[in-house]
Amino acid sequence: MTREPEAAAMTRQPEAAAMLERLLAGVPLLDHSAEHLLEVVAVLESYGEVLDAYSRNLIHQAQREFLNPFPVLRFFNGEVTPQRLWRHLIHDRINFEYAEYCQRLMLWHGTGGLDAYLDSAAFQQHCAVVIGHRRRRDPLLALLDPLFPDFLPELIRSAATASALGQFWRVMSDLFLDLADAHRRGEIATIAAVVAFIREGLVAAAGLPIRYAVELDGVPFEILPPAAGLTFLGDVAVPYVEAVFLRGSPFLGTVSFNAQARQIPIDQACFQYGALYADPLPTMGAGIPPSLLMQDMSRHLPAALLQVYRSRGRGEGDLRVKICASFQKAMFCVTNAAIDGTFPHPLSSSHPSEQQANRAYATAWIERLRVARIDCLPDRLAAGA
Amino acid sequence: MLSGLLVIPLLGAIALLLWPGEVSGERLRRTCLALLVLQVAWSLWVLWQFDPTISGLQLEEIAPWVGSLGLDYRLGIDGLSLPLVLINGALSLAAALVTSTSTPRPRLYYALLLLISGAVNGAFLAQNLLLFFLFYELELIPLWLLIAIWGGSNRAYAATKFLLFTAVSGVLILGAFFGLALATGTADFSLQPLLGQELGMGVQLLLMGALLVGFGIKIPLFPFHTWLPDAHTEASTPVSLLLAGVLLKLGTYGLLRFCLGLFPDAWQLMSPWLAGWAAVSVLFGSLAAIQQQDMKRMVAYSSVGHMGYVLLAAAAATPVSLLGALFQMVSHGLISALLFLLVGVVYATTGTRDLNVLRGLLNPERGLPITGSLMIAGVMASAGIPGMGGFISEFLVFRGSLVPFPVPTLLCMVGSGLTAVYFLLLVNRVFFGRLSPPADDLDTPLPVVPLARQIPALALTVAVLLLGLAPQALGTLATATTTAMSRASQHLAALPVSAAPERLVAGGRG
Repeated sequence: MTREPEAAAMTRQPEAAAMLERLLAGVPLLDHSAEHLLEVVAVLESYGEVLDAYSRNLIHQAQREFLNPFPVLRFFNGEVTPQRLWRHLIHDRINFEYAEYCQRLMLWHGTGGLDAYLDSAAFQQHCAVVIGHRRRRDPLLALLDPLFPDFLPELIRSAATASALGQFWRVMSDLFLDLADAHRRGEIATIAAVVAFIREGLVAAAGLPIRYAVELDGVPFEILPPAAGLTFLGDVAVPYVEAVFLRGSPFLGTVSFNAQARQIPIDQACFQYGALYADPLPTMGAGIPPSLLMQDMSRHLPAALLQVYRSRGRGEGDLRVKICASFQKAMFCVTNAAIDGTFPHPLSSSHPSEQQANRAYATAWIERLRVARIDCLPDRLAAGA
Repeated sequence: MLSGLLVIPLLGAIALLLWPGEVSGERLRRTCLALLVLQVAWSLWVLWQFDPTISGLQLEEIAPWVGSLGLDYRLGIDGLSLPLVLINGALSLAAALVTSTSTPRPRLYYALLLLISGAVNGAFLAQNLLLFFLFYELELIPLWLLIAIWGGSNRAYAATKFLLFTAVSGVLILGAFFGLALATGTADFSLQPLLGQELGMGVQLLLMGALLVGFGIKIPLFPFHTWLPDAHTEASTPVSLLLAGVLLKLGTYGLLRFCLGLFPDAWQLMSPWLAGWAAVSVLFGSLAAIQQQDMKRMVAYSSVGHMGYVLLAAAAATPVSLLGALFQMVSHGLISALLFLLVGVVYATTGTRDLNVLRGLLNPERGLPITGSLMIAGVMASAGIPGMGGFISEFLVFRGSLVPFPVPTLLCMVGSGLTAVYFLLLVNRVFFGRLSPPADDLDTPLPVVPLARQIPALALTVAVLLLGLAPQALGTLATATTTAMSRASQHLAALPVSAAPERLVAGGRG
């Protein structure tokens, strides 16, 4: 992930203006072409398969590895056999580490309702009850808690984020697999239809409650109770987009970041290292976390897309870089759908003050997106012609 | 038996040239490869017959040739020449392997390759001064042609410069050999009896000076090095590989065999100056390498620096340092061949060797990850990282030279540190960072280097590692000879480390 110099960002000013008009007109940011459609739908299908596994594991971790300070076997979904251990070690498996990476990003960037609740007094009280119960039966926790009073609550916060992300991805996984089905049925023929499909899915799921309870020794404990009023879109989906798509984290890879030399913004909110800003080229390089996702997706790639990839560049040799490039296009579509679904007023509104509010909302988004990797958005063939 | 090492490549070269009718390039290539494999097998057989406990010549073959000139066909092998013969076989094979299948004028090309290989074997095996000179000159013309015909855009300049320098080198060497015959009053050019000759110091210094400059051009040592970077830059990859891996060793071999071997007294007198010269050469080569923007020139200047270690070790002439000199010749042969090979791969795939252009080639999907990894291994070895061939040779050289010549040795150690500087610059610029934009295009990434083309580089890397991890193999082969050479030079008795090589090499097993 490289950050572009300001000068390069400024030259994108006309593009940014065009993007703003597209957003307000309800036209997708990603150009429509047969190839873009195939890339986006197929990549989202494989992403859906992978998210299914990720979400199961995150929910498993939240339930079964709860308050375990050393969850060494957390990626095994409770099924520890010598064969699985071997497959784990030789990486013949889903890289659950990537899910954990996203969960940590959400926990660390901490925006939205979920984060506010995790810092609330009500949550502290729940934690105290759970820890008090668990301490009586677990001598290790009984030792750790008084020594490091913030440690166990932080573990619970982490588990709550894992559960919330698991629930979010459960919905997204189904949505992306449904999209692929709809495409196969011929119902999706344009990029606009993809964006609309995802938007409808997000809007439909917007009010779903996010809840989290664990059962310890037969006693149920609410960690994210219904009373907290956490919902899918506002409290998990939007913070997820903020943490993973936009902010991300500056990992070592092609560029070494020196925080002391102020090469990383002091304000976390100014981070621009997320999926929409990422450089696909170093995928599979040492220390590039998205590599794990691309490797996972490469195992579930639909045949049609694989066929296209094989005819390009180094064929299967640079498969994961190509998946990453397509994935970025797909994530622009998802972001696009999220923006469309969260406009303060309907885009069709003719009321000037509502139009003004919509424009301000869209402008705020474009301000952030104009320095993202928007060079992937135009149709390559049309641009070249 | 040793004649086989000459007959196979030399007759092979003639056979390729005389092969009637149109012969396809692929067929010529396969024939050449078969002959070189046979040559390697023959050298391994020689190795099998070789008795490492004997310090003198073995498997000698003597036949009178032109008696009136004092030219005898006299071959022999010892612990100094055997490793070099083995390296010559292996690197000639590697050079043929990495030659493009679509090389123009393949008949002449492969014939010249075989001719060089045979001539180099002859020079290492010859035990008659004139015979050595014949072979020494014999490799000159084929190499000149290889650069002049198959070289880069400025090949005519580089080839001519190479020819002029090496011809002067040859004239000086021949002059010294004739001068020796004149001074001793015999027309016998055989090598062995000369060891016992008594000559006046002035004559010795004059003759040895001529030989020193002659071999100094070939090695090359500062300030006679200027032909080398040009020759390397214009030469194709296989030719660079041979030039750095084998042909430069003729110079250091001559230094040890003839300068040190024929003029021990003069050598002893001159040795402090020679050690100083070595330090200057090492520092100059290293500092010049730091300045380079072309990968190949950087590796070429690195050769100038690293060959200086051999002069330092030869100047010290202790048992350990002479063993170190041989180790350095072998390890430099392997490492520089590896580096030139990898630079060749980079050039073939990216079309440039410019350090200001190349970036991020270690990119695992779009770059050259295997080439990059091997390059990192190669530069680590060259910089003397423990566990690799470069370490053991530099250690032996420094260990053996520190007592007689502390200041030049310390300066050479600085040069060793500078190796890390320029090679880290190279690796950091070319292989780390983000891949440069042209390869960014989705449809036109860099071409993939097929595994078959990586095999020679992989084999060389393994050899460099083996030399570093199990140095006793080479040590056992060479110790008797290098120790005897050291004893023959007179200042040995004053040195406290006479029994050291056996101990050091045996220590490698522990």
